[in-house]
Amino acid sequence: MTSLYIHIPFCKRKCDYCDFVSYAGKEDLLDQYVGALFKESQALTPHPSPSTIYIGGGTPTLLSVEHFEKILGALLITEPSALEITVEANPGTADKKKLKALKELGVNRLSIGAQTFNDHHLKTLGRIHNSADIFRFYEDARSAGFENINLDLIFAIPGQTLDEWKSDLKTAISLNPNHLSTYNLTIEEGTRLYEEITNNKSLGAARDAEPVEALQITNNETEATMFEYSIDALIAAGYKHYEISNFARPGFECRHNLNYWKNGNYIGLGAGAHSHVNGKRWANPSSIKEYIGCGSVRRNVLRRAPDDSPDATDQRETLFLGLRLIDGLAIDHFAGFDEEVGQLLKEGLLQRNNGHYRLTRRGIMLGNQVFSRFV
Amino acid sequence: MQIRNFSIIAHIDHGKSTLADRLLEFTGTIEKRLMRDQVLDTMDLERERGITIKAQAVRLEYKGYVLNLIDTPGHVDFTYEVSRSLAACEGALLIVDASQGIEAQTLANAHLAEQNHLTIIPVINKIDLPNAEPEKVMEELNHLFGTKPEEILLASAKEGIGIEEILQAIIERIPPPSGRIADPLQALIFDSHYDAFRGVVAYIRVMNGHLKTGDKILMMGTNGEFEAQEIGTLKLSLIPRDSLEAGEVGYLIAGMKDVRELRVGDTVTHISNPASSPLPGYRPAKPMVFCGFYPVQGEDFENLKVALAKLQLNDAALFFEPETSAALGFGFRCGFLGLLHLEIVQERLEREYNMDLIATAPNVIYKINLTNGESKLIDNPTKFPSFAEIRSIEEPYLKLTLLTPAEYVGKIFEIATSKRGTYVGLEYLDPTRAMLTYEIPLSEVISEFHDLLKSASRGYASMDYELIGYRESDLIKLDILLNNEVVDALSSIVHRDQSQYRGRLLAEKLKEVIPRHQFVVPIQASIGGKVIARETIPAIRKDVLAKCYGGDVTRKRKLLEKQKAGKKRMKHIGTVDVPQEAFMAVLKLGK
Repeated sequence: MTSLYIHIPFCKRKCDYCDFVSYAGKEDLLDQYVGALFKESQALTPHPSPSTIYIGGGTPTLLSVEHFEKILGALLITEPSALEITVEANPGTADKKKLKALKELGVNRLSIGAQTFNDHHLKTLGRIHNSADIFRFYEDARSAGFENINLDLIFAIPGQTLDEWKSDLKTAISLNPNHLSTYNLTIEEGTRLYEEITNNKSLGAARDAEPVEALQITNNETEATMFEYSIDALIAAGYKHYEISNFARPGFECRHNLNYWKNGNYIGLGAGAHSHVNGKRWANPSSIKEYIGCGSVRRNVLRRAPDDSPDATDQRETLFLGLRLIDGLAIDHFAGFDEEVGQLLKEGLLQRNNGHYRLTRRGIMLGNQVFSRFV
Repeated sequence: MQIRNFSIIAHIDHGKSTLADRLLEFTGTIEKRLMRDQVLDTMDLERERGITIKAQAVRLEYKGYVLNLIDTPGHVDFTYEVSRSLAACEGALLIVDASQGIEAQTLANAHLAEQNHLTIIPVINKIDLPNAEPEKVMEELNHLFGTKPEEILLASAKEGIGIEEILQAIIERIPPPSGRIADPLQALIFDSHYDAFRGVVAYIRVMNGHLKTGDKILMMGTNGEFEAQEIGTLKLSLIPRDSLEAGEVGYLIAGMKDVRELRVGDTVTHISNPASSPLPGYRPAKPMVFCGFYPVQGEDFENLKVALAKLQLNDAALFFEPETSAALGFGFRCGFLGLLHLEIVQERLEREYNMDLIATAPNVIYKINLTNGESKLIDNPTKFPSFAEIRSIEEPYLKLTLLTPAEYVGKIFEIATSKRGTYVGLEYLDPTRAMLTYEIPLSEVISEFHDLLKSASRGYASMDYELIGYRESDLIKLDILLNNEVVDALSSIVHRDQSQYRGRLLAEKLKEVIPRHQFVVPIQASIGGKVIARETIPAIRKDVLAKCYGGDVTRKRKLLEKQKAGKKRMKHIGTVDVPQEAFMAVLKLGK
């Protein structure tokens, strides 16, 4: 199975927490960019017959219907209904007409970046939409015929209380999406949010006074409680917890992402997109201009540690990716890691179940302590 | 040939190295195209920290005179070495920054120069700076040394202003050396360094008599006998000569394999016709500050031993011997002249020898008087006898001199008092600058005293100290327990009055620096088995990557690798992972 990922690194505004490859105010390059994507997909040899296509961003819905047509036209050689074709969409960036057109082009899964229904916290994140936009957009998507919709939610936003998060989950569940991703906010260095938080801190220390409405990082206890609550509430609402951060109605697990976690083959198209084919990884240049310039040439094959044979690295990656899945990984994948597994079983982070090793509930909470044993 | 021997006394950053560079250039000792900044500071560390660690000497020739410049180390840890360098000279340039005024260490070194009967040539440097206040500095110099304005030279080493005047003053004001060639040989060793090919190179000033290649020589302090294999003068390289005579400065190579075979301050004489007495001022090397160095990875013990031995080749004051800690395993107890010396050695081990080290908090040597009438010296808190055996404890005391802009006197008072300082006196050098004197335990000065002083005075206050002897103090041992086990490497000696407070602060600090574990980690501070403070590190409840963005697995793998490497760099004590900085926490408690 091969998956295709297409990256659209354009946004109206870059969110304050985002450290992904995406740029604001470069929409004038959209046509050229889609042209380069077209060329890159034409150059794929052999032409892949993907099982899933995922158009992510950035904000893919900034593309016109014609753009989508051109990209998908270059990639689809089979009947699209057999595929899972996802497009990421941000509330307010597509109207009902565009959504309908996407559906007609074969897009059958929509992933909506809702993040939170709290307007104050949406501002903290630097999102350009408000909660009303989410509801409208969701209804438009449904009425455009989308029967497989994911909502992305973020918790542990600076200043967010447990009750506010509970309320977000309740609202999300009431919309009845087929899939929910709940991500703990990571405040990455170099993002605006990071700067804001560190500056507030240092200003506060220097003036020895309370800064005005300083953003507070959520503490570990609250994060843990929020996460545990999410798991309990979503399972109670009939969702299956199938990956650390992902929940789905039975049969609606994201096939594209499952392929990542199973360390399958995928080809990434577009600026900054990553690929993994038969144990080899590489990435495209992340600058839009450079990507357009180099057309279909792929570069920057990611470096592996010289003393690590590709097989060993690939096994390690298979393990730490696969253990993210709640069902875990078949025992034969763990060859050579008896000591680590034994220790993790003893620590109560791993358990054996149906010929698989999988994370315990505690192991889910402390996943990094498990994964880091296998790198 | 007429000779002048001189050194330069200056505070860090007041322009000593730049002035030395200009003198080398002006006298044509070094060609301009070969010139780089701080020629005499050969170690990277010296350049980076802007300090001179090793003394150096260089021979300049100017208008038919030989001018020997003997550079001095610029830090209080090396006061003895400075005094020996000064003893090799007849004069000194006293460099003061026109915008900063005189600093405590410069003052102390200038007093040392006076004690050695050196002619002092005051130079106010950096007069080109917009905030230069040469008149104010003149007033200070007058107050401190009775210097008249017309004796003071104005210069900017950076801009090359006043260099010729300085050279002229060296020739005119500094007296020529007065030794007698006919007397038995007395040569002062004022520094040495280790050369991988030639062994130890001693820097000497011949005070009386003369020394020839092939002479059989005796080190009067250490009693070592050698042959003078090669002697010569010092330019930027070694220039061999057949002989050196009274008044001259040069080098001596005598087949020594280790700098500990000689001692700075020792006197070289002939075996056949020895001098009746050595030159005054010799003192054996005596470390004042001790700490433990432990490899993070136990298997690096041998590498650490080799690295320390290599450093010791060029550092006679460095002391080390193996020791064992229940918590840290095998390591070394190391002795240093002071805190800077310690930091330099630690940094060189980490940088030049790639050692991953845990350094325990430094301590002084305590003198323990036992109930059975015996006394012993203790260089490690873990070797403290039990309460019942101790009659009294003595610790080293310093006379501490602080120079500061007057507005910070209040704050410095507070710091000194909180560090058990006894006030001795306060004197105003001019209306805006004050000199404070305290008697204070060395142990307080080697912790965070300097940092506190600098932050309380926005960097303007400076300090200098000298050891004045041992005094009895009411000291006790403060232990730390992690997960209910005593961690010997975290024990410290504190004053009884401060023990509660320091115990509480230390527990708090450790809670900050020790990461959360999967289980709760109790931290306790205890004295004589009685717990006086308690903190708890809660168990980590959540530690998991939320997302695997768009297939960028490599980035996530690197994050996990970093987490794994971070854990590996910590010391595993029982079931608790303790990061390196925890062992220094005792030093950084705030006042």
